[in-house]
Amino acid sequence: MSTQKASRIGEEIWKTRIDKVNAELVTLTYGTIVAQLCQDYDSNYQEVNKQLDKMGYNIGMRLIEDFLAKSGVGRCANFRETADMIAKVGFKIFLNVAPTVTNWTSDNNQFSLIFDDNPLADFVELPDDGRAQDELWFSNILCGVLRGALEMVQMQIEAHFVSDVLRGDDTTEMRVSLVRYIEDEMPPEDD
Amino acid sequence: MAAPPRHSTMLSISNAGTSQSTGTDRTQVPQSSSPAQTSGLRVPSNRKTIYDRHLNRSRNAELSRASFAYLFGEMVTYAQRRVTGIQDLEKRKDTPSASVCSTYSSTAPPPPPPPLSPAPPPPRLPPNRPLRILSLLHLIHGPLWRLLFQRAADALEHSVSAETPNEYMITDNDPLVNTYISVPREMSMLNCAAFVAGIIEGVCDGCGFEAKVSAHNQPTEMWPSRTVFLVRFGESVMEREKVLERAGVK
Amino acid sequence: MLSYQSRAALDVLIPSTPCVLSPHSQLSKMSYYFTILSPTDTPIFNIAFGTSKGGGDGIARFRFPDTAQYMNQFIIHSSLDIVEEAQWTNGGMYLKHIDTYPPATAYISAFLTPSGARFLLLHQPPQLPSSGTSGSLGSSSLLGSSASTTRASSSSVAANPTSPQTEEAIRQFMNEIYESYVKTAMSPFYKQGMEIKSPVFRTRVTAAGKKWL
Repeated sequence: MSTQKASRIGEEIWKTRIDKVNAELVTLTYGTIVAQLCQDYDSNYQEVNKQLDKMGYNIGMRLIEDFLAKSGVGRCANFRETADMIAKVGFKIFLNVAPTVTNWTSDNNQFSLIFDDNPLADFVELPDDGRAQDELWFSNILCGVLRGALEMVQMQIEAHFVSDVLRGDDTTEMRVSLVRYIEDEMPPEDD
Repeated sequence: MAAPPRHSTMLSISNAGTSQSTGTDRTQVPQSSSPAQTSGLRVPSNRKTIYDRHLNRSRNAELSRASFAYLFGEMVTYAQRRVTGIQDLEKRKDTPSASVCSTYSSTAPPPPPPPLSPAPPPPRLPPNRPLRILSLLHLIHGPLWRLLFQRAADALEHSVSAETPNEYMITDNDPLVNTYISVPREMSMLNCAAFVAGIIEGVCDGCGFEAKVSAHNQPTEMWPSRTVFLVRFGESVMEREKVLERAGVK
Repeated sequence: MLSYQSRAALDVLIPSTPCVLSPHSQLSKMSYYFTILSPTDTPIFNIAFGTSKGGGDGIARFRFPDTAQYMNQFIIHSSLDIVEEAQWTNGGMYLKHIDTYPPATAYISAFLTPSGARFLLLHQPPQLPSSGTSGSLGSSSLLGSSASTTRASSSSVAANPTSPQTEEAIRQFMNEIYESYVKTAMSPFYKQGMEIKSPVFRTRVTAAGKKWL
C-alpha cells in the first residue's frame, strides 16, 4: 500500500467514522496530566517520562482494537507499510495529524516521525527551571502508545523522541525502531 | 490565601532586574531590556512558541473522542492509584502533592483535577467579566458548555429552598464524560462528572465567585446518565451579590 | 540587546541629561510603566518604556530618575482601591483612565481580565522643558536613535493622557497584551500568581508598546 493511499484512507476515516470532541478538551486534559505528574514526582522528569510512556502503553494496548475496527486495514506487508499506517491512518484518526515518515535506515528497521503539528503540545511552555527543556519529553505518552499498540500486533518496537519544539528544537521528531516480530519467535522448545 | 503585602513584594521583584544599574547612571535605564528578569527557555528558530500561535486556532478544532476517553481513563486510573492505601497517603504527606492527595482522599477517587481550572477560557467567551451570579451561570450554561461540548447545558435552576439561596443547579441530560468514558467498574459513573464539576468550580473561582461544585447522577427514564451539577456559592459571594443588587449593577 | 548596551554606555558618559530629546519633540513623549498583578495583587510582570510613535526612542524618562521604580510602584498600588471598586461595578475589561496622581502628573489606566488579573499602565508626560539646557541638544545627536525625533509629533497618541485617542490606543495595547497573557495562562505549567518570565512575552509587550503608544 502506498503512502498516498494510506493518507486517503486516514482522511476518509477521520471524516466519516470518528466521533469528535473539542480539541482543546483533549489538549488541556493531557497538559493537566503531565503537569500533575511533574508535581507529584517533584520534577523528576526522567520518572515523568517513564510514567507517560507507561500510560501510553496501557492506552496503546486498548487502542489497537479500536484502530483495527475503524480502519478495517489488514496486516501490513512490511515495516515500511506499518510506518505509513501509523503516520497516515493511526495518528490521523486519533490526533488529526499526519506526521512525515522519513530518515529510514538502510535495513528498513528504523524511521523517524516528524510532527509539524502536535495538538498535545498546543498552549504548552515548559517550566523555566533550567532542566525541563533538557529532560522532559512532554509528548512521551505517544511513544508508549505506539509500543503498546504494535505489541498487540506482534511487533516489538522501541520509540523515543529525539527533538521537540518545546525544547527549542526546530522540529518534533520521534525515532521508531523495530526490535523484532514477536510471531517470528519459535515457541520455546525447552528450558 | 492571604494577599501579600502589596508594596513590599512589588519592590522585591522589580529590583531584581535593575539593581545593577542604580548609582552610576542618572538617566533612566530602559528596563524593557533588562536581562535579569528574563528566562532561560529556548525557543525554536522558526518561532513555534505559544505566543506565535493564533489564540482561536483550535477553537473549532476537533480531535477524536476516543483519544479524550483514553487520556481521561488514564488520568482517572492514575488518580486512583495515587491514593490506594492509607500508608501511601501518609508517606506523601510531606511532598508537594500532599494537598492534592488530601483533596483526592476527601472526595474519594477521582478528584476534579484542579490544574484545568486556571486556564481561562475567556477570550473565546464574550469579552465581559460577569459581575453577578446569574450572568456567571449563564456564561457557564451557554458559552462554556458549547466550548467544551458543542452544545448548551440542558437546564439552569435556582434552589427553591429559602435556606439555600446560594445553591444553583446546572443540568446535563447526557454528559459527554459519562457517555463515552468507561472506567473501572468499582468506580461510579459519577466520578467522571466530577471532572466537569472541577472545571465549573475553576471557572467560578477564576471569575471571583468562590464556589463549591459537586456532580450528582439523577437519572430519569429517558436520560439514564442525567447529571446535576450543584453550585454552592460562598458567603462572601452572597454578601457581594446583595451589595451589587442594591447598587443596581447588572 | 546591543543597542541597549550602547545606549546605557552613553547614559553613563552623559550623567546629567534627564532630557536628551530636543524640547519640541519632547512634548508628547510619554514615559510608561506597565505592570501585571495577580488577582491577589502579587506583581507578576513589569516593564518601563517610552513613546515610540512619532519618532520617540522608546526609552522611559520618568520625572524622578533615581526613584522612578519605587515611585511608579507606589503610585500604581495607591490606585488599587479604585480598581477594586470599579471591578464590581463595571463589567468591561478595559476600565480606561481610572486615577491620577497629581504630584507626579502620573495617569493610571487599568484593564481587568475575567480571571482577576490586573493590567495597570502608568503614563507620565515629560517635564516641560523649562529647565531645558543647551547641553541636552548636543547629547541628543550622540544618541543615534533620536536623530529621527524631529518628525512631526501630531500623530502621537500621548499628547493628552485622557483624550479619546489615548484611551483607544491604550485599549488596543491592553487587548494585545491580554491575548499574550491568555497564552501564558493556558500553559499547563503556569500557575496563577507565577511571575511571567518568558522573554517572548516581554518582547510581545514591548512590541505592543511600540505599536500603540
